[in-house]
Amino acid sequence: MSEFQIYLLEVASDAPIEGSLIEGITEANVNDWEDAWMPALARALQQLKEKGVDRRLWPQSRHWDWRRKAEAFKGLLAAPSFSIVCQGMTQGLMIVETLESCRLLQQKGKPLVYIQYLETAPWNRPGLTTERPRLTGVGTLLVRAAIELSRSEGFGGRIGLHSLPQANAWYANVCGMSDLGIDPTKENLRYFEMTPEQADAFIAKGV
Amino acid sequence: MATSKKTMTLNLTDAEMSALEELCEKKDLSKTAVLRQALRLYQAVEVRAERGDKFFFEDEKTKEKAEVVML
Repeated sequence: MSEFQIYLLEVASDAPIEGSLIEGITEANVNDWEDAWMPALARALQQLKEKGVDRRLWPQSRHWDWRRKAEAFKGLLAAPSFSIVCQGMTQGLMIVETLESCRLLQQKGKPLVYIQYLETAPWNRPGLTTERPRLTGVGTLLVRAAIELSRSEGFGGRIGLHSLPQANAWYANVCGMSDLGIDPTKENLRYFEMTPEQADAFIAKGV
Repeated sequence: MATSKKTMTLNLTDAEMSALEELCEKKDLSKTAVLRQALRLYQAVEVRAERGDKFFFEDEKTKEKAEVVML
């Protein structure tokens, strides 16, 4: 299992904090999800409920079960997974697939890394609670990991994903991905795809 | 994403090499990358088949399904 040194920004101190990007999702990561993410998410949802926030605006990933997902994809060569650990805690998780093909006309049929699931810890999500996020850069680093995997597989940095509605603007504006619109075959989620040129631009931004 | 890799020699017929080269051209991939993709696909199908799932091709227009039988 490969491990890479990364840096996240701690919002409170405005200082970079060292962490690790690890290939794979381990039992320890799933335990963090159960022991820390789920209670934090439950508290955040309770706050949203008390404030009367429309349920359509609640995080759509709230039903994701990472233990089940990790087990379902375990050992599959076509479904590598990644985790980010920092300050002794899992800060982000991602499962990708490598057997999908591009849809964007200019690269149609070519292979890409498809991001099946990507989630950051509840305390790192802006707007989920009244508190400021603890660490920023988790989602960006996971997208960067998908791009690097795509490059190392010979896919040129091409990646794709179906976005949950709350993340549409982030994938379009921060990641600079092409928006191919709503996909009726995938729960009416928007499909986004990144070309090699967009991948270069994303990495050049140094986000 | 550098993972240690092992090297092997592969013997292919002319027809197999031709098919491999066509896929390389079509997918813009190296021969190694195409074969690694093939292995991933084979493993994924095997795992699903062992779970009792069936593997189908579906005609996009007619929705007609044809089961793929794995050996």
